[in-house]
Amino acid sequence: MATTTNYGWTTPDDTALVKDGAAAIRTLGSSIDTTTKNLNPSTTLGDIEYRSATANTNTRLAIGSTGNVLTVSGGVPVWSAPTGGSFTELASGSLPTNANNFTISSISGAYTDLRIELSGARVTTDDNIYLRLNGNSGSVYFATDFEGSGVADSTAGTTCRLQGSTDSATGNGFTYAIILDYTGSHWKIIRSAFMVPNASTPANARGQSYLNGSTITDAITSINFYTESTNNFSAGTYKLYGVK
Amino acid sequence: MSRPLIVEHNLETNEIDEREMNDAEYATYLKDKANFESLQEKKEEAEAAKAAAKAKLEALGLSLNDLKALGLG
Repeated sequence: MATTTNYGWTTPDDTALVKDGAAAIRTLGSSIDTTTKNLNPSTTLGDIEYRSATANTNTRLAIGSTGNVLTVSGGVPVWSAPTGGSFTELASGSLPTNANNFTISSISGAYTDLRIELSGARVTTDDNIYLRLNGNSGSVYFATDFEGSGVADSTAGTTCRLQGSTDSATGNGFTYAIILDYTGSHWKIIRSAFMVPNASTPANARGQSYLNGSTITDAITSINFYTESTNNFSAGTYKLYGVK
Repeated sequence: MSRPLIVEHNLETNEIDEREMNDAEYATYLKDKANFESLQEKKEEAEAAKAAAKAKLEALGLSLNDLKALGLG
C-alpha cells in the first residue's frame, strides 16, 4: 500500500480496484483527521501548542494567568509569574484640564514598588505639583529638597513635593517618582526628581530632586496629584507602573 | 455654588470618573488654597520690603555692593 511522504497516510496503489475507492478515501480522511488533531490539540481560547517528544504530535499549553510570562522549565515552555525586574503599566492617560486634583485609586498590592511619571505636566499658571497618599492630608509628610546649587532644605508638612514651578506654556518637562515597598507596614519613602522649563526663562531647564517621606504605615492604594495654587492642570500625561 | 471637580482613575474598573469634591476633599482644598494665598502674601511682602530697603539705601547714596564691602550683604 502506498503512503504519503510526510505523514505516512495510506493511499490507494495504482493497481487498486475502483470498487475499494470509498474505503480508501475513508482511511485517508481518518488519517488526516488524526494527524491534524495531533498537530493542533488546542481546545480553549489562548491555548498554544509546542512540539512534543513524539513526532507529529504537539502538546497543548493552556493560557497562563494575567501578568504571566512564557519561560522554559524541563525543556518545554511554561507560563509563570515574572520573578523580577519587570515593569507593568497600571495606568496611563492625560491629566484633567478641568480640575486641579487627580487621583489614581484601587492600586493593586501585587508589586514591590510603584513608579510614577508625568510628561509635559503643566498648570494654567507657573505652579508646583504636589502628591498625597491614600487621601491623607494630615501632617504625615516631609520633603528634603536637593538643588543644583548644593543646597538642601527639609520641610515637614501635609504634602509631598513632586514637580516644581514650570513654564505654563512649554511642554518639555518630565517628572518621576518611585514609592518604595508601598505595601509594607512601615513609613514610606517617595524619591522624585523633575526637569522642567524654567518658569521665568523657559529655554533654560530647571531640575531638582526630592527625598520625600511619609509616616503612613498602611499599604498605599491611592495617589493624589494636585496643584499648589489650586489652579487647574493645563496639559500633560501620567503613567503609573508596578515594579517587581 | 458648585465645588471644584476631582478626577479619579480607578484601576479596579479602569474607569475615569469626575465628580465634585466631597466635604473632606473640599475642606482640604480650601485649606491648601488658603495656605498658598498666605505664602503668596508673605512672598509679596518680603519682595516689597526688599525693594523699600533698596530704595532707602539708594537715597543714602549706598548700593548692595557697599553693604557687601562692609560684610553686611
